[in-house]
Amino acid sequence: MIRSRLKFSPQNLRIFGLIVVLICVLLFFATQIHNYLNKDLFIRVSTSVAIMALIAIGQTLVILTRNIDLSVGSVVGFSAFFLGGLLARNPNINPLLVVLAGVGFGSLFGMLNGLLVAYANVPSIIVTLGTMALYRSSLVQFSGAKSISTASLPAWLVSLPRMNMISIGGYDVRVTFVITLVVMLLAHFALTRLRAGRHFYAVGSNPAAARFAGINVNRTVFLAFTLSGALAGLTGFLFLARFGNITVVAGLGFELKSVASAVVGGVNIFGGSGSVIGAFLGAILVDVLDTSLVRWEVISEFWREAVLGALILLSVTADTLLSRKLLAISLKKTKSTPKQMAAFEDSLTTRKGL
Amino acid sequence: MTSSALEIRDISKNFGAVKALSHFTMALKPGEIHGLVGENGAGKSTLIKIMTGVYQPTSGEIIVNNTPITFKNTQDARDLGIVAIYQEPMVFPDLDVIENIFISDKKSGALVNKRKMRSDAQTLMERLGLSFDLERDARSLTLAEQQTVEIARALSMDAKVIVMDEPTASLSAHEARQLRNIAKTLKAEGVAVVYISHRLEEVFEIADRVTVLRDGQFISTRDIGDVTTDSLISEMVGREVGEFFARVPNKARDNVRLRVSNLAREGVFENISFDLRAGEILCMAGLIGARRTDVALSIFGIAPATSGEIDVAGKKVNIQTPRQAMKLGIAYVSEDRRKFGLLLPMPIFANTSLATLDKYISSWGFLKRQAELSMAETFRQRLNIRAPSVTTNVADLSGGNQQKVMLAKWLNMQPGILIFDEPTRGIDVGAKAEVHKIIHDFAAEGGSVLLISSDLPEVLALADRILVMREGRQMGIFDGGSSTQLSIMNYATGQNIAHEVA
Amino acid sequence: MTAPNGNSSNLTRRLKLLMSWEGFLLAVLCLVFAINASMSQAFFTVANQINLFNLSIEKIIVALIMTFIIINGEIDLSVASVMGLSACTFGWLYHAGMSAGLAIVVVMGVGFLCGAVNGFFITRLGIPSLVVTLSTLIGYRGLARVLVEDRGINQFPKWFDALGQQPLLGPFPLSLIIFFALFIVLGFVLHFSGFGRRVYVIGNNAEAATYSGVDVAEIKMKLFIASSTISALAGLLFAARVGAIRGDVAQGFELDIITIVLLGGVSIFGGSGSLLGTLLSILIVLSLRNGMDLANITGHIQTGLIGLLLILSVLIPNAKIYASRFLQAKPS
Repeated sequence: MIRSRLKFSPQNLRIFGLIVVLICVLLFFATQIHNYLNKDLFIRVSTSVAIMALIAIGQTLVILTRNIDLSVGSVVGFSAFFLGGLLARNPNINPLLVVLAGVGFGSLFGMLNGLLVAYANVPSIIVTLGTMALYRSSLVQFSGAKSISTASLPAWLVSLPRMNMISIGGYDVRVTFVITLVVMLLAHFALTRLRAGRHFYAVGSNPAAARFAGINVNRTVFLAFTLSGALAGLTGFLFLARFGNITVVAGLGFELKSVASAVVGGVNIFGGSGSVIGAFLGAILVDVLDTSLVRWEVISEFWREAVLGALILLSVTADTLLSRKLLAISLKKTKSTPKQMAAFEDSLTTRKGL
Repeated sequence: MTSSALEIRDISKNFGAVKALSHFTMALKPGEIHGLVGENGAGKSTLIKIMTGVYQPTSGEIIVNNTPITFKNTQDARDLGIVAIYQEPMVFPDLDVIENIFISDKKSGALVNKRKMRSDAQTLMERLGLSFDLERDARSLTLAEQQTVEIARALSMDAKVIVMDEPTASLSAHEARQLRNIAKTLKAEGVAVVYISHRLEEVFEIADRVTVLRDGQFISTRDIGDVTTDSLISEMVGREVGEFFARVPNKARDNVRLRVSNLAREGVFENISFDLRAGEILCMAGLIGARRTDVALSIFGIAPATSGEIDVAGKKVNIQTPRQAMKLGIAYVSEDRRKFGLLLPMPIFANTSLATLDKYISSWGFLKRQAELSMAETFRQRLNIRAPSVTTNVADLSGGNQQKVMLAKWLNMQPGILIFDEPTRGIDVGAKAEVHKIIHDFAAEGGSVLLISSDLPEVLALADRILVMREGRQMGIFDGGSSTQLSIMNYATGQNIAHEVA
Repeated sequence: MTAPNGNSSNLTRRLKLLMSWEGFLLAVLCLVFAINASMSQAFFTVANQINLFNLSIEKIIVALIMTFIIINGEIDLSVASVMGLSACTFGWLYHAGMSAGLAIVVVMGVGFLCGAVNGFFITRLGIPSLVVTLSTLIGYRGLARVLVEDRGINQFPKWFDALGQQPLLGPFPLSLIIFFALFIVLGFVLHFSGFGRRVYVIGNNAEAATYSGVDVAEIKMKLFIASSTISALAGLLFAARVGAIRGDVAQGFELDIITIVLLGGVSIFGGSGSLLGTLLSILIVLSLRNGMDLANITGHIQTGLIGLLLILSVLIPNAKIYASRFLQAKPS
């Protein structure tokens, strides 16, 4: 019998691979751009990643259960707007309460998504396509077509993005980045060490078996969407702090970025496997590429999106081919039946109904 | 007298007008292996579902620990230690073995203690007499291993009653033996095992008592020493067991339609060689896991061989896709009609034309609906498919009729070579006889049949020659007329069996 | 009712089908028509109806082919980006000196290529269409931006603009004619041709299709190429109609398109749906938007209401299923 050893699972390989790719990318751009690897890069990336990684983490929670949340962009925008309005009218409100309000506000949206997906049995792609539009239009209604301006916001909020948690030799570690980091660690802990967290994986891996094994699938899915909404609400807070001027199109397109970061980070779109650390690294990689392409003189900054699209495709291709290879090897070792192979092919291609 | 682990008292279950179970009574003793036998449709699955809380009985009582209990759902049954293991393993492919076992653990608190789980899993596996890598993802486990994980999971929840529904149906001989040993281990630990199997020889090997079901009714519960195969079968079927399948010899013609030489697929099967003539029925016999379907899939182009040669009508061919096989006149009727053979939500006529769609497409590309419908109707009558019309959805048909629709699809192709994989699996006796007749008629008209069957009486009744496979290797080709069940089993299991097999 | 050729029971089946989703849509459509007509007498005029269609003509053209894709059990999220890429490529080529006619041909070729790329990753590498078309949604949009950057291009040949904006045949502009022609052709293909049957079969059970000799990969490839090529055409029509292009042409259109198709009764799981349902859904959505314009409801709110409609379209049938399951115990 084989004792425990470092699992060379596709998961861990993926994270390792991501770090390697990240280093390669950084080194590459260091040769291309003058004065690239410095503290400014660190600060710039960590500040913007704070926002993107947060929703990527929320999206991961949903994707793990074999669902998708396309409404996060609208929730981020609405939350930012709501909090902005709240602060404009009550400038002396306790900052902690503001954060909690954002989280609570976002959770409400998440809960509605969760109710429809988990209890009313409507596929998540349909629900969140609908709520994406619904929440955005509610925002427009709520805002009365006005926007939030920085001038109406209290000083502590406006200066938050520049506040440092700790500063090591000029490398400023922003509070916002730390918030996201902490959320990631908490999520990772919950997903790996809490029984309820493991249920996320079980539900995404085989919903029928989960039900059969006595796991409350509905509650798990409901929780995933609620948390996604909560994190989107928190992101709205960070968004408000960072940009100050909020219009009704705030957060537009965030959902795609969050799915992209998760997928690049190795989260399986069919659920059941992936980690928030991967999603976090995925968000960093995407952001590094974004920032660096802007500064790279060789090609115009307008290549950002094209490169991002290619990157996602490449990483998923690598993932798919790699895990197929690994599985083929292990199946060969155990001499599986065609039923097994067929079942595996099944699990790759016919898990529909996101 | 030992109290029962679980008692079913006078249980009836009606679905509208259909009486699935009538006044059924059975008592399980702890630490016994209780066989449950009956034909398809006899009510076994309804019984299991009532025992495990999937259904609620229309009337009657379930008694656990001398108290009548109502199960509102499977969780209630599970809380009392009553669990069922089905043929389709319910495991989580992305999680490792340890987590698969303990995923539904409700007692160990909110935090996951991987180290404790690992050692507990190890202990469980040792109790079951198994050892394999617990860190593997369940996805990479074989079917048999996944089943054992499910059993371990049941044990971890302190199961008192474990129902095994056809557990060895898809296992190799070795794996089946392992499973039977596990059942004996469970028995030694005081678990009541309900063992449902069509393989009566297994029931005789491990069961203490056996209950017979027929048409939703309780027929008998006896000690295993008090029954014989014949007595069981006659109770299951309700009539005397005679010569069910009379042997009708075929007249094989001279021309060799298909020649397979040293066909192999790396890691799956090797050295398969045979000739198949016009008008001949060649049966591939063997236990499940012998890899006969793999050979068929190689010939049909789904999973091409890695070495060896296939000749059709004397010419060497290279078959890489089903289309190529079909062009050569080869048809493959799958053993899993629901998954690979039929489009369940679609009507009969859409299914029967599926393999020959080009015949029903005009030069402009439009479907010749009329021709499609009349072809379907022709087959409906010819094969005696019981359905209101050819526009009925296949999902609404019984197993036997579904099988016939799938067969019609392939017969319409007028294949020269018909590969038929488990032709009568899961269909009732009446439909079985009809399917056999269809196969005979096909051969009589000059078609070649490559029949894969795990049903020995069926093999003996139909085969001109029998090719026995065992774990991917060819054990020999034997004359159909002079073989016996004993001789086939000898080769299929690779050992001499001293006693007659059911 | 069991005629030997199954014809009369076929008709009954058809009628029963009409009683289901399409029938429901028809009822909703009549309701919307009634409300709109009561709000404005101009609603049923030809001019208004044409205008109604015109505003979303590109989306509804793509919805026709999207119907095929979803019935087939796949999804194509990149359609709007292909529209954008095609419009931008046209503008860029024309501005760089190529003749408009040649540019159109090249753009259609680009559309073809986009579909082939999608199809390659989906059929040869087996990557789920959701992921592939999500990446190409971003990627193709990115290519559009590379070409056009942050400029706008708005000097197109007069005949090009005329084709997009002026009526061509009677009161009908070219785009509307294309829509109806496409509807008829695609309708025949989906419901009466062998190809269409295969599309349904694959969406129903791709394994059974493979085991019966259907070339699943070829059909999927064709569908994705068709989807992107038609999207490219739609992009050109958009450029002609609006007379100008920018990097964000058609951004976000895919959601409207998918909403229309799903609302039309096509199951997200594949295997069922009809082009008639899509047409009814188009009529409902367009009339709804028109009615909401009349009632002075802003664009964003309209989108929200459509989103609500989408959810209800699945919620209500689900509720019906639960109710019927509750009322009768069904053996599984």
